[in-house]
Amino acid sequence: MSEEHSNPQENPQPAANPNPQNPFPPQNGGFGFGMQQSLPNATVVLILGILSIVTCCCYGVIGLILGIVALILSKKDKALYLANMAYYTESSYKNLSAGRVCAIIGLVLNILYLLLCIAFIAMFGIATLSDQDAMKEAIENMMK
Amino acid sequence: MKATLLLFCLVLLSKGAGIIHWLEHHLLTCPFKHLTGLDCPGCGVQRSILALLKGDLVASFKLYPATIPLIGLLAFSALHLKFELKNGAFFIKFLYIVVTLIIVSNYIYKIFTHQLI
Repeated sequence: MSEEHSNPQENPQPAANPNPQNPFPPQNGGFGFGMQQSLPNATVVLILGILSIVTCCCYGVIGLILGIVALILSKKDKALYLANMAYYTESSYKNLSAGRVCAIIGLVLNILYLLLCIAFIAMFGIATLSDQDAMKEAIENMMK
Repeated sequence: MKATLLLFCLVLLSKGAGIIHWLEHHLLTCPFKHLTGLDCPGCGVQRSILALLKGDLVASFKLYPATIPLIGLLAFSALHLKFELKNGAFFIKFLYIVVTLIIVSNYIYKIFTHQLI
């Protein structure tokens, strides 16, 4: 109970009080006056999450891989941050959660696109798809 | 680092037309377009970037509306990672959602106006 109260107050303190000569009382196992680290994979997750939508061309496969990797990394880091909040900076956690949201959106879009490709191949077949005229004919038949 | 950037800008200025000409004749073919003859959600982005390099904002928007926000998103996230802006993560999330909405609605618009082929 006391830890939950102390955490939100403790995080802004290193920025407000940069003087290392005057450490505030260590509350979370002595981590209080140490340097706060950024999460190890926060930047990577953010970049992968953004790239997962940029590479949506290519049947959605590349974006799918990037999104899944970003989600797995973010899950690990989130557990790490929740384990000891005072040790990692809050801004890197914000980056991590932004990257996570981006990765989820990118992943959903890529899965939809992949399903669309599979549906196209299942509906028309590769032989029709690779022939432009036959493709137009098939679409015109479908529109009727 | 600064010198490299300056050199890059000089090359772009002096041989700009040459680079654009080279890019115009070396566009990558979309595999989905190659297979089906239909546009994929990302089709038009290369032409749009070329139009942007020529300075034609309207043509760039018409070819692919999401290009300018997308470049803005990439530039802003680079700035945010370098300088750790306040509330930067929130703006990245916001811009990302805007870009996705533009891409999806553009694709749906293309389907209903029969611009895919």
